Amino acid sequence: MSKNTLKICIGTPCHLMGAADLLEAVENLDYNLRKKIELKTSHCIDNCCDKAPVAEFNGKVYQDLNPEKLYEIINKNIR
Amino acid sequence: MSNNTISEVVKLKRKLYLELLRLVKSGDLIKEISNLSEKMITKDTPRYRCCEFKERAIFDERIKAVLGFNIAENKDQSLEELAASFPRQQKNRNVVEVIDTACDSCPIDKYIVTDACRNCVAHKCVNACPVNAIVIIQNKAYIDQDKCIECGKCAQACSYNAILENQRPCSRACELDAISSDSNRQAKIDRDKCVSCGSCIAACPFGAITEISDLIEVAINLFAEESKLAALLAPSFLGQLGYQQSADKVNYALKKLGFERVREVAAGAEITAAAEAEELEEKIELNETLVSSCCPAFKSMVENDFEELSDLVSATQSPMAVTAEEIKKEDDELKTVFIGPCTAKKEEALSDQNVDYVLTFEELISLFAASSINLAQIDKEEKLEDAGALGRQFAYAGGLQKSLQELAAVDFDSKQVDGLGRLKKELYLIKADKNNYNFLEGMACVGGCIGGPSAMINQKKAKKLIQEFAGAH
Repeated sequence: MSKNTLKICIGTPCHLMGAADLLEAVENLDYNLRKKIELKTSHCIDNCCDKAPVAEFNGKVYQDLNPEKLYEIINKNIR
Repeated sequence: MSNNTISEVVKLKRKLYLELLRLVKSGDLIKEISNLSEKMITKDTPRYRCCEFKERAIFDERIKAVLGFNIAENKDQSLEELAASFPRQQKNRNVVEVIDTACDSCPIDKYIVTDACRNCVAHKCVNACPVNAIVIIQNKAYIDQDKCIECGKCAQACSYNAILENQRPCSRACELDAISSDSNRQAKIDRDKCVSCGSCIAACPFGAITEISDLIEVAINLFAEESKLAALLAPSFLGQLGYQQSADKVNYALKKLGFERVREVAAGAEITAAAEAEELEEKIELNETLVSSCCPAFKSMVENDFEELSDLVSATQSPMAVTAEEIKKEDDELKTVFIGPCTAKKEEALSDQNVDYVLTFEELISLFAASSINLAQIDKEEKLEDAGALGRQFAYAGGLQKSLQELAAVDFDSKQVDGLGRLKKELYLIKADKNNYNFLEGMACVGGCIGGPSAMINQKKAKKLIQEFAGAH
């Protein structure tokens, strides 16, 4: 089974706009989904701080996220 | 989920913080401030009101609050006038305020007649209504919502409980019934009851209730060439600037941001705890009850709603007050900035001359972000070691009680209650002399300060971080 990589930016601008909510959303994922994902944190992704919070899933960058959007991205793109 | 999942309302507020701070930094605040709403709210940004013009009008009011001015009192002042008037001369009186234009006068009708209405002969509802708002249409009572003044008499009168009370988010969130509606059905805050706990701010889905901020004045000070500011970090600060950010790193980052001195308020909390323990010993001897005073919202509630119990409230100064006093003693040119998760501390500071400003964690983080300081990228540290467990554990519910159990020389029974609603019930018990303990620890926020309105992270994790930091388990 191929591993999926989720990178969440925890830089200060992203923290201000809810990076902690995203981290928590990942923790609350369904176990079967969660075990397929390797979670990493990043200090800054792509320098797009005005579109915080930002995450990268399997190499693609997503901006202006919230937990709901993140669920959807993971569900759609999980390998 | 955390109790503080960030909504669009919160995001918009924080974006506004950033924009304003950038203007302060570039020195263009006065010049650009009146263009800000036009810049931030365009035809294409999400819109919640009738048109972008109303959206901007509301936004301008919001800007006034962030600048630190009471909205109602400065209705006729332009943003430029206000921006040019720093440092503010008069101290604000209210910390929590309704933005009238933003309040949707919630179309949620407070009283509605349900299908349980039997069109009875007595028509108690019609008779009970003082404004003749109830008519009988198609075999059923009907409330004319334009006439209704939301007094609730009809609901009490109905023999079938057919009239339903449907509360607004703001007044439901307020445990102290401090929010009512005025004749235009807009939210109105009763100043004799409000303790500035901040619950309504978080509850309003329109963002129509806001706190008056010290952010811009602090920023003007901080970004000035010669600034002398001291940061007083609330015991709950750990993790709030990011899970991975250690106390030592936060200390370093605050100095980098421009604070001359950084102090843990937990240091003051240790002094508070020791003084309160002594006070408690005296009370125990007299077999009286002592009620904690460090949470300003709880303290205000006792003073407002339970006047006869106000003698029981500890006379000991709060950790913030003690810490600020210490700093002023060391150097009275330093301006003190308390940083915490709390809106009620803003109110406490209004009557404490040693506390110059109060910021919330989100406001502090905005200062970092606007100064392009990314804490995640900092790898330097500066030791922060002002206090031990006795002070640091004030951050969560039960911590103060634990400190007192350790400090007091005699054994005593105590109780810990968090949440204003629960505390209100507890106070009724004390009033009726039905309590069997000598000490009550009261924290207005559920979970204590880590559950405060401006807390940035999950409170269970925050508690764990603080326990590790304090070395208390």
